Amino acid sequence: MLELKNIVFSVEDGPQENGGNGGGIRRIIDGIDYAFRKGKFYAITGPNGSGKTTLAKLIMGINPVTEGSILFGGKNITGYSITDRAKAGISYSFQQPARFKGITFRDLLSIASGTEEEMQLLALLRRVGICSLSFLDKPVDSKLSGGEIKKIELATTIARNPKVAIYDEPDTGIDLWTIGPMVNLLKREQAEHGTTTLVVSHNRAFLEVADVVLIINGGRFVYEGDLKGALPLLSDMSICNYKACVRIDDVGCFR
Amino acid sequence: MLDAFDKELLKTVADLEGLPKGAYNIRKNGRLLAREVSANIRIESLDDNRGIVVTIKPGTVNESVHIPVILSQAGLNDVVYNRFIIGEKSDVTIIAGCGIHCGGPDPEGHEGLHEFEVGRKAKVRYVEKHYATGPGRGKRSLNPSTRMVLAEGAHAEMELTQIGGVDEANRSNEAVLGPGSVLLVTERVMTEGSQRAVSRNSLVLEGNDSRANLVSRSVIKDDSVQDFFATLEARARCFGHIECDAILIGNGRNETIPSLKAFHPEAELTHEASIGKIANDQLMKLMSLGLSYEEAVNRIIQGFLR
Ligand SMILES: Nc1ncnc2c1ncn2[C@@H]1O[C@H](COP(=O)(O)OP(=O)(O)OP(=O)(O)O)[C@@H](O)[C@H]1O
Ligand SMILES: [Mg+2]
Repeated sequence: MLELKNIVFSVEDGPQENGGNGGGIRRIIDGIDYAFRKGKFYAITGPNGSGKTTLAKLIMGINPVTEGSILFGGKNITGYSITDRAKAGISYSFQQPARFKGITFRDLLSIASGTEEEMQLLALLRRVGICSLSFLDKPVDSKLSGGEIKKIELATTIARNPKVAIYDEPDTGIDLWTIGPMVNLLKREQAEHGTTTLVVSHNRAFLEVADVVLIINGGRFVYEGDLKGALPLLSDMSICNYKACVRIDDVGCFR
Repeated sequence: MLDAFDKELLKTVADLEGLPKGAYNIRKNGRLLAREVSANIRIESLDDNRGIVVTIKPGTVNESVHIPVILSQAGLNDVVYNRFIIGEKSDVTIIAGCGIHCGGPDPEGHEGLHEFEVGRKAKVRYVEKHYATGPGRGKRSLNPSTRMVLAEGAHAEMELTQIGGVDEANRSNEAVLGPGSVLLVTERVMTEGSQRAVSRNSLVLEGNDSRANLVSRSVIKDDSVQDFFATLEARARCFGHIECDAILIGNGRNETIPSLKAFHPEAELTHEASIGKIANDQLMKLMSLGLSYEEAVNRIIQGFLR
């Protein structure tokens, strides 16, 4: 239902002093060809800087693809704006959610769900497992804790009733006691609403419940399959011998 | 007595549908239009109708005074001087505001000086909105000044808003804070077209344990210009903070100068200032929730000025 046709995202490389190769082109997403199937749960993992967030942003239309095309429900959406993609049914939880001034969780939830009805907003809170009603009127500003803002981010994504939901490291900053319920919530959304779910995560809890595990490295999918098959590759990566250091700022090389 | 324009202006600047409850004084085109006093709130005119003195009895709680000003006479520059004496331990809200309806090519303006004496342990909330409208092309200017003296343990909140249509504004706010007093000032200004707005603020923290917080939110559209100057001067053990944010849209220009002066070893003064376009991550987030670019911009500004 969501098809990536050989997509590439490249940027102009910085000067050599900054670790670039001197005015060259860097392919952050280096040709991904993949079809996500309707209603499946995908866990996308891979080292820091491997291109997970970049890929998610290409799907949401936050960055335009340099090459290739994206099909959604058979339609070519490569030229769609963020707004158009949102309206078509794609929703994205940012890895680093925006913080506002003077905008509350209630405001975001109303925008996302298209209703200001108290009863419906409360029903949404229940659906995403937020028990504290006072949370609704919290300003989404710089005072929120890292975990709080991630919960809000996740709730606004679910409130869209998306066909495809992409969660970018939804568990960052989330306390130990909430990870389990969060995994269950996303599984329940998948089961009850048939949501095609893409979770970017390093957390084993998400990898374990996924229908498909995808490993991305150097801007390419290097694995598709179950968790068991992914494990050897993942442990290889953790000692950083999977790919040769090519750049001075390759985060992976310092691990 | 109130015509349709008056009603519209009153609604915008003072959230009033018709005449208010409680004490009020409505000034139109430089003259008194209506007044009501209460058992605890006295309103008297100064000589020559230059302004009013509002006296609030000590211990008056949960009362409000509305003192809106309406201008709809071309070529008029209304100058007014109002004094507020707020008695000890009272707790009141004062709603001021000026609405200009400009129907012709001549300039219209209002200059108001509001002086406050906030008594010991008194609490006051002062809300002031400025707005201009009308088909006329005459320049609309508003130059409000406030001067406030807070006695020991007094608590004052000022909300100053300029919502639109004002071509030129020159604002000045001054305050002197006594021991243990608290002052919170929030200023919100939106300018567009070729409008100009300047705000000068000077707060002196004179008493021990006094606290001041000055927040400014500016939205500067098109070719408009806004400048913001703020000085906190600490003369005792105290705490003061300035927070000023400006959003530029189009060719808007802004100069923001926060200044902190400490003349006491236990003074604690801080400031945060930012000028910039609407943050991209905020726009992306709202668009990913289905809003168009324009809707997202409006929503962010609405929140920012709330
Ligand atoms: N617009 C851009 N311009 C230049 N470089 C970029 C841009 N976007 C991403 N990058 C670079 O591309 C690489 C991949 O970034 P990305 O954010 O996709 O990584 P990630 O896999 O999500 O990492 P993490 O696990 O740390 O979240 C990084 O080296 C990043 O600095
Ligand atoms: Mg990332």
